[in-house]
Amino acid sequence: MLKTYEDKVTTISEKICEIGNIVVKANKDALAALKNNDIDKLSDISIPVKKLILQSNEIDNLIVTTLALYSPEARDLRQMVAYLKITNELLRAGSNTKSFIKGFRRSYCEDINTSAILEYVIPLLKASTLALEITISMIENNDEQTIEENYNRVIVEDSKTDDLYSMIEKNILKLISKHLELSKDYFDLLSSFRKLEKTADRASSIANLLLFANLGGELQS
Amino acid sequence: MNQTVTSTDSTNQNIQTKVKVKKLNLWYGNNQALNNISIELQKNKITALIGPSGCGKSTFLRCLNRMNDLITGVNIQGEVIIDNKNIYDKDIDEVSVRKKIGMVFQQPNPFPKSIYENVAYAALKHGIVKKGKTCDELVEKSLIDSGLWNEVKDKLAQPGTSLSGGQQQRLCIARTIAISPEVILMDEPTSALDPISTEKIEALMLELKKKYSIITVTHNMQQAARVADYTAFFHLGELIEYDETENIFINPKVKKTEDYITGRFG
Repeated sequence: MLKTYEDKVTTISEKICEIGNIVVKANKDALAALKNNDIDKLSDISIPVKKLILQSNEIDNLIVTTLALYSPEARDLRQMVAYLKITNELLRAGSNTKSFIKGFRRSYCEDINTSAILEYVIPLLKASTLALEITISMIENNDEQTIEENYNRVIVEDSKTDDLYSMIEKNILKLISKHLELSKDYFDLLSSFRKLEKTADRASSIANLLLFANLGGELQS
Repeated sequence: MNQTVTSTDSTNQNIQTKVKVKKLNLWYGNNQALNNISIELQKNKITALIGPSGCGKSTFLRCLNRMNDLITGVNIQGEVIIDNKNIYDKDIDEVSVRKKIGMVFQQPNPFPKSIYENVAYAALKHGIVKKGKTCDELVEKSLIDSGLWNEVKDKLAQPGTSLSGGQQQRLCIARTIAISPEVILMDEPTSALDPISTEKIEALMLELKKKYSIITVTHNMQQAARVADYTAFFHLGELIEYDETENIFINPKVKKTEDYITGRFG
């Protein structure tokens, strides 16, 4: 392939990683705030969703241009198609992170069992953040073996978030049964935790797309 | 078309017009092959001319270095202005025009001479260099610039025809740039080459545009998309649309262009 094509692909990859790293950083900052029991710190974390949408549109248009001008085939074509879908997945991951932070901040109060809630949410957030972080690192690495290894790690983290969420759901229902007057707060918290589980789903979906881009097979959502 | 067709980014200060064509008409006997073509071609850019067979793109290309003058029965009207001078003015010598505007043809056509002589021939004839060290340096530089030096440096005395098709075409490019043209015309330069050689020529074109303005005719639309900064679509002797390649291939303004690019052309 011509150098001009390679330059375009590099630009697209870098721009995708840029979006991904913004989302990962927001998750990491949130995790640090929760670990330090500094819930107020969550209000300092911003996810510029509108900016991310603009960046995503820019990437998508770059991809359309690259498809139109270079007619990539085989692995190159799979990569472009995967990237086109990945930008959307990253936007959704960003929205989920924003919703989690907003929802958690709003419902977290002294009346609820804060130690139990933090005990539940920290491993969940840790797993979803790690899933997303590994996924973003996959974009920068084209080695097939590393891609496969990282894909498996993302799947493990995603599965972990599913299990953790199920456990948390049961535990929160138990807390609600003891304190019905706080049921709204607990349900809202649960709803915010669900966003983390969805973030991990998005990471898993991106990992799947990168596996398709690098190793082939069929496109699956 | 009566108006000069300019690309949409011609207001950009980095863009300089190298070749300005005004109301160019050409007849082969009674048959009009080019109809009122006006276009501004940019310096240090690659412009691709695309269109179906017989649309006039090669005829137009040959007008740019007065190659059509060699055909009997051809009547040309209009102006081709390069650096503020109409190359069809009576006081202009067509040989000096062709020195300034080199050409690479569809079929690689090295002279039946050595690799060295192929590159040195025109430069010696034009008196650009004399035999000896300066000529050796020119041959080496031209072969380096055409990306062929490493492949032929140990066999410069061998015939140019002993090279592969792709190498022969790069030898022809070396021969063209040896006389320091300002514009390089390419008439389907890769249509006789395999994909590997094609990629080498395309990569070379991208390098050469840093020094030269390149105008290429191609039937391969993917090639136009890959290498050209600007694309001009010709049909039935008319210039239908001319714009940045990206615009032509993503958002063409004229339906006929879109139909051609998408293969819906009757």
